[in-house]
Amino acid sequence: MEKVCKDWSIAFDPELVNPNYWNEFEENAKAASAEIWQVNSYAEAAEAITTLIQTTKAQKVIAVGNEESIGLASVYDSLKSLDINLYTNKFAIAENAPTADIGISTAEFAVGETGSVCVDSYSYESRIVGMLPPIHIVFLDRSCTVENMTTAFKVISRVFNKGYMGFITGPSRTADIERVLSLGVHGPSRFIIIAVDEAANGGKN
Amino acid sequence: MANTRNIKKEINNKLHDSIMRNALSRFAAQYPAARLKSYANVDSIDDLRNSLRDMKQSTVAHIEEVADEFESSLKERGAEVFRAKDGDAVKDYLLKICKENNVHRIVKSKSMASEEIKLNSFLEENGLHVRETDLGEWMLSVAGQRPSHMVMPAIHLNKEQCAKFFSQELHEDIPNDIPFMIQTARRVMRDEFLQADLGLTGANFGIAENGAIGLVTNEGNARLTTTLPRIHVILIGYEKLVPKIEDAAKILRLLPRNGTCQRMTSYMTMVDGPTPVIHKVNDQWIEEDRKVYVILLDNGRLKAAHDPKFKEIYQCIRCASCLNVCPIWTLVGGHVYGHIYSGGIGAILTGLLNSMEDFSKINELCIGCRKCMSICPGKIHIPDLIDELRARNVKEKGLPLPVKVVFQDILANRKIFHSLLRLASIGQKPVQNGNVIRHLPLFFAKLTEGRSLPAIAVEPLRDRIKELTKNNPSSPTKRVAFFSGCNIDFVFPETGASVFKVLQNLNMEVIFPEEQTCCGKPILGMGDRETAKKVAKQNIETFEKAHADVILFACPTCAETWHKTYPELFADDPEWSTRVQVISSKVREFTSFVAEAYEEQHRFIAVSNGKKITYHDSCHMKRGLGIYKQPRKLLQDAAGYTLTEMNNCDKCCGMAGAFGIKFSEISKPILAEKILSIKETGADTVAVACPACMMQLQGGLDQQAPEIKVRHVADVIAESIL
Repeated sequence: MEKVCKDWSIAFDPELVNPNYWNEFEENAKAASAEIWQVNSYAEAAEAITTLIQTTKAQKVIAVGNEESIGLASVYDSLKSLDINLYTNKFAIAENAPTADIGISTAEFAVGETGSVCVDSYSYESRIVGMLPPIHIVFLDRSCTVENMTTAFKVISRVFNKGYMGFITGPSRTADIERVLSLGVHGPSRFIIIAVDEAANGGKN
Repeated sequence: MANTRNIKKEINNKLHDSIMRNALSRFAAQYPAARLKSYANVDSIDDLRNSLRDMKQSTVAHIEEVADEFESSLKERGAEVFRAKDGDAVKDYLLKICKENNVHRIVKSKSMASEEIKLNSFLEENGLHVRETDLGEWMLSVAGQRPSHMVMPAIHLNKEQCAKFFSQELHEDIPNDIPFMIQTARRVMRDEFLQADLGLTGANFGIAENGAIGLVTNEGNARLTTTLPRIHVILIGYEKLVPKIEDAAKILRLLPRNGTCQRMTSYMTMVDGPTPVIHKVNDQWIEEDRKVYVILLDNGRLKAAHDPKFKEIYQCIRCASCLNVCPIWTLVGGHVYGHIYSGGIGAILTGLLNSMEDFSKINELCIGCRKCMSICPGKIHIPDLIDELRARNVKEKGLPLPVKVVFQDILANRKIFHSLLRLASIGQKPVQNGNVIRHLPLFFAKLTEGRSLPAIAVEPLRDRIKELTKNNPSSPTKRVAFFSGCNIDFVFPETGASVFKVLQNLNMEVIFPEEQTCCGKPILGMGDRETAKKVAKQNIETFEKAHADVILFACPTCAETWHKTYPELFADDPEWSTRVQVISSKVREFTSFVAEAYEEQHRFIAVSNGKKITYHDSCHMKRGLGIYKQPRKLLQDAAGYTLTEMNNCDKCCGMAGAFGIKFSEISKPILAEKILSIKETGADTVAVACPACMMQLQGGLDQQAPEIKVRHVADVIAESIL
């Protein structure tokens, strides 16, 4: 999968990117109606997604990121045992995105000040998995947080030369009718961040 | 449209639109606290604002270089770049793109610039299927209406009206259930996205160093518009350019907070050059790079960039927060501003990007209260820019004849002006009708519903000077020259007497140079700077001869005019510039001056159980001069009252110069809200430090709460001196 940066860790100065801003991130992300699931391993993540698939009766899942992460590849492998259609090929994703129930992708780091996650969406498939299904899940390394938007852009400026990237802060929302907040207008109505504690999992994949 | 508009009638219609009025007043009540809450986790809002302003100022100083860099960054990455001098150029270019690429269907994601040049109707006339994708804008386009706010386009509608537009467009019966409407919109618009050939977006910023553009949305429509169609066209104004990637953060820390009271919008998307798109060609899925066209729009922006005053519009990030706190917008909504950009900044953008003719219709809708300046992320001097545009309009086209007569033949001649005032005190009739009244200082106005206007005093202050100066101390510590302003001189001479008493009690000599005349504010308010200069010179000469240590004002508007505007008026005149510097350095406002002296003399004693009093902050006092603590201190610790704060104590009372009279229908509801806030405190006195506010409040209280008295701080203090 094409990305703005193949390996974001090269941009991660430990002074800027570290686990210190997790609590503020969590509070702000929840305030923006994001759901946060903290897990200690990819196996645990796979279980949680399985439960979600069962409770929402999801039939079709589109997912990216397995080429870049052994952990994600293992999650998708375990989902294959369920009675669902799981698509990870980009053309299959394009074909099935309009009717998919859940999309899964990845985030590079989180921002404490705003509750946002930074997403590298250079590839077409990574964008549509996050926009077309009603539920969007992103995987995030819990140790990668920055303080605020200023520091976020310091990180970004080291690697952003071309392509498509940005931030997601909670699900799609509108308040255009009587300023009443409604979720899921064009994009997903549920935005779930699965924060994997890589350290607890024995280091980065 | 501009020539046939009846703005008074439009305003009246809006004032009677109870659906809109309710929506706006609810919003205006909630906005300030919600905004502050979103900033609760930053150290200093002001630091963020300064850093945005500084970055934008240095960018506009090199706008051509920044634009060149932006263009070459994009070309290097494979995008096409077109510089459009105006709307017609955009339209020609866009039509060419559509033809070359066999485009039939277009989805749009919020672009104010496209509304500015009325792009949608043009494209539709040329046979293209165009859909707005922002829910609010989509509803409005169905309804044939324009947005009334830059961030909340449909805030003037309720759900019943929205349901009607849904039903019309979809030929289905859509109930007025908000979640149902949202899901319906999702379904209908999803098809539009999937079928579109071309996505057209605006941009919240464009980064020169790498060519990326940024888009913030909550719905995610910009993300879909920039992802699904095989072509992306970006329409971006020069004012959106920033030099570096890191500069984007300066915008993003302020825009969502000021715009929608969010720490960040749901989606913040950056697109930099062509990126892959996967679509079906001849029934086969293929992946290729999408075509990206960037149109850099001038339409008056480059001229503004080189204007010493109007280059400030580059500091605008289109958050629309200047509307959210505007007492006029809150009452009449965005549509009366006529063009696409509404409110204070809208009036300016309309003048610069659309036409001066449109501007001249709406320029008086700024009440000059400066509330917008106190929160504008880019720290734009919105009311000052409106004044500047107005002045240039007058310079170019002249004043309407009746106004010209009043200013140039009456106000500029002190003797005629003052005789007229005396005449008014006897008759009150000869000047009470026609166009003459509204351009004279306020007390000439007719009695209006909900507010009576005060009579001209039988004996003006200037006739009592002999008697008042008798009490001057024999060995004073300071010589104070009092500039009373017209209101204190001719309507509230008693307040003038209080000023004498308080200062004399401080062992100061008070003199009243009799050649003093109107400060010139009403003339400046109409943009006639040449006449204002004449009046200013007369005042400056008069006070030079007074040889005083201090020139004292009990009217913040006069003080501000002397202190701030006089030096600006003579900036290009070396001789007068020097003279005005000397004079304006002596300007002091009454409450802050007295509070300082009381502090030195240890006269402040905290008292409890005093009588209840409340204080109304005048706009010019609080936001013009920055004075709000001192009058409170005087009331509480010098006069022995217990100060009770009212709701929105610093919200405009609705007078604001000639505004209160020319647009009395707007002024009235603003006043009514103020009276309500005063009543709720349970105080029997409301203190003010501005004679114009005093006049407005007295008029309102007279008719709506006669048991409450309004008094100038000087009167309250004077009363406590035995």
